[in-house]
Amino acid sequence: MFSKLAFKNVGRSMKDYGVWFLTIAFGVCLFYVFNSLETQAVFQYLGSGPQAPTAQAIRELIGMLSVFVWVVLAFLILYASGFLIRRRKGELGTYLLLGMERGQVARLLLLETLCMGVLALLAGLGLGVLAAWGLSAFTAGLFAVPMTEFTFSVSLAAMGKTALAFSLIFLLVMLCHAFAVSRCRLLDLMQARRVNQELKAQSLGVSVVLFLAGAGLLAVAYAMLLTRGLLRVDALFWVMIGLGSLGTLLFFRSLSGFLLRVCQSSKRLYYRNLNMFVLRQFNARINTTYRSMTVICLMLLLAIGITASSVGLNNTVEQMTAEQAPQDVELIFYPEQEGEVDLPALLAEGGFDPEAECAFSLAFPVYLTGEGRAIDQSMHDAIAGRWGQDAAYAFRAHHGLDVQPDDAAQGAHIDGWYFLADYAGDKYAAEARFQEALSTLNTLGVYGCTTRIGTWMEVMGTKVLVLFIGLYLGVVFLLASAAVLALQQLTQAADNAPRYQLLARLGAPERMRARSVDIQVFLSFFLPLALALVHAAVGMTAANAVIAEVGKVDAAASSAVAAVLLLVIYGGYFLATCWGSRRIVRGG
Amino acid sequence: MEPILSVEHLRRDYGGRGSVTHAVDDVSFSVERGEFVGIMGASGSGKSTLLNCIATIDTPTAGHIRVEGQDVTALKGRSLSRFRRERLGFVFQDCNLLDTLTAFENIALALTIRGTPAGEIEGRVKETAELLGITDCLNKYPYQMSGGQRQRTAAARAIITDPALVLADEPTGALDSRSAKLLLDRFETLNREGRATILMVTHDAFTASYCRRILFLQDGAVLTQLERGGQSRRAFFQQIIGVVTRLGGDQSDVL
Repeated sequence: MFSKLAFKNVGRSMKDYGVWFLTIAFGVCLFYVFNSLETQAVFQYLGSGPQAPTAQAIRELIGMLSVFVWVVLAFLILYASGFLIRRRKGELGTYLLLGMERGQVARLLLLETLCMGVLALLAGLGLGVLAAWGLSAFTAGLFAVPMTEFTFSVSLAAMGKTALAFSLIFLLVMLCHAFAVSRCRLLDLMQARRVNQELKAQSLGVSVVLFLAGAGLLAVAYAMLLTRGLLRVDALFWVMIGLGSLGTLLFFRSLSGFLLRVCQSSKRLYYRNLNMFVLRQFNARINTTYRSMTVICLMLLLAIGITASSVGLNNTVEQMTAEQAPQDVELIFYPEQEGEVDLPALLAEGGFDPEAECAFSLAFPVYLTGEGRAIDQSMHDAIAGRWGQDAAYAFRAHHGLDVQPDDAAQGAHIDGWYFLADYAGDKYAAEARFQEALSTLNTLGVYGCTTRIGTWMEVMGTKVLVLFIGLYLGVVFLLASAAVLALQQLTQAADNAPRYQLLARLGAPERMRARSVDIQVFLSFFLPLALALVHAAVGMTAANAVIAEVGKVDAAASSAVAAVLLLVIYGGYFLATCWGSRRIVRGG
Repeated sequence: MEPILSVEHLRRDYGGRGSVTHAVDDVSFSVERGEFVGIMGASGSGKSTLLNCIATIDTPTAGHIRVEGQDVTALKGRSLSRFRRERLGFVFQDCNLLDTLTAFENIALALTIRGTPAGEIEGRVKETAELLGITDCLNKYPYQMSGGQRQRTAAARAIITDPALVLADEPTGALDSRSAKLLLDRFETLNREGRATILMVTHDAFTASYCRRILFLQDGAVLTQLERGGQSRRAFFQQIIGVVTRLGGDQSDVL
């Protein structure tokens, strides 16, 4: 009988559960995407190459980050469950009034949670598989990793991990539900419909003090960050993080009261249209929203920081590649037998004919002189002529070569042979044939070879990994915070519908009400973002000092990418929420 | 002089073809400036539907409602909002105060919606609060006040804009007798001092006895009306009881 009631409830309160369902499905999706990362094709492709150690490090990083993500998700889902229970208090009261025992009500809720949880888990996993594949393909396309290597992959290990992680969260949710049911009084439940939010009259003076304290803590944390830098992880680092987080928490806890106080001092502002209502509404909500606002602010900070620094670092890496390998091929060959070696001919024998394949090629010996190794002046000039003086200098410096007049070489001992070339036509095909041809050299001696494509792949591997993780984490945090804010605001709009109905009766025109809804949504979206931007600006100033050691960070480009992502994702959610809230309020 | 409110052949039907219920069936009456009119009737007599139509919350099927000569059944959107905030004041049974605002702010809200200059607001709120005897609880939130205080706050909100007509729907429905008496005394005073023309719906004879005139509704039609005239409230109350009993008797005859 209970299962019947539970299933019916799920169907009936789908609209209420919808919010919860979306949160969980979304959480499952992002958790899966995260954890299936290592089995995804693009990651495997990169992990098998020369960047395997990097890949390993990033795998471990994901493991650590997943714990963090799990905590965040658990918090969010518990929060969504709290919303749900509050919206259904009246219904639960009716069950108790009809003589159902608390244990039975708790069991009912447990069944409902289980039912919805399993559905949400499945939906989230489906979404996650798609999202992981889509993101993988997108990233691969973005960074020119050949798409042929990718197949649609499903990671069973990641699925198991996700299912386990979320089962734990569901267990927590059920415990909280049971606790809520056992603690509540019937009277409170019955009156829940009328007083759906506990209003604690909070002294505005206290708000001002708390606000100043929060601002002070933030200032101390900023000062520490700027003087100590970002990457010194020691006890003081955690003190700094703690101070920053606490400061943020206090800031949001007291902000509404502070705003209210400030606005009240200007009667012209306070008694204008629905300003009074909006501010009071915001202030009344803050008791339940300040924690989530803090978490969202910190998530946004992570999103902005990670996106901006990964893009910034990436541009630096890209510039380095061009400098490292000016020519398409640079081969040095040390034959086992003394004597003249015709490298182009050997390569042609192996299937790579320099005459046909190359737009330009040079083959020349390197001599052993008394002082060291040297090449002919004419060859040096040829290199400089083709690739520039800087490249010629870099080549000499890299191999430790002197330059000697052409006639000085007569009879000198030949150490080895160089082959420098630029491909003509299809570079990837030429590269493949060249690598093939190299194998014929194996039997004749020892060779060392750098190709531009090879270097490119190597550097790009690092670049893709950095960007991959950076964008992934950044977007995920951004999406999560925006989604949570949206869910919160839509739920609030539903709670507020009767209030707006009253305002309509009092004669507040539609436009005035819509504006009031927009302002409320705007405040809840904009305030965490504003503080996160300030945090990020300070953090990036500190981080630039670190990154500057690796290479110059392109601040403009990184800020631009972060801004575009913010605008598209966050802005999109904001507009959708405004629209949805207006609709809910109008409908009520 | 033109009446404040005139209802002409008002009709409100519910249901579709085949089973039409006439919640309000061809009702006509008018309310003059300065009147305190009650509408009485049993549950289902159509009194709430009638009030909702006048309050522009419900749309009548046929007929006209004119407030100060303006036909409100034709109003839509912005002009409807404008009409509500400038010509009408509401007091409902479940008082409908905003729980996040203090009493003072709840009353002031009616003014800020109208765009009253900020400088005038505090003075007017305090003056109105004094009229209704709620000066002490202006800084309290609704949940900190008694039901009676809440209802008088709602009444203050309704009259602060000097509306043409105050509509009250069972204003004493959720109050204890002492609070109810206090609220009705204030209504009576406001009405006598010319501050408000009141149209009140109630099913309670005691509440109705504060009115100067009472319309009795049955099955959507005006059955009869009583005028208090010069008689005392006690005598008027007895008269009301008499009509109510007769109406009840009629019903039991039918049944």
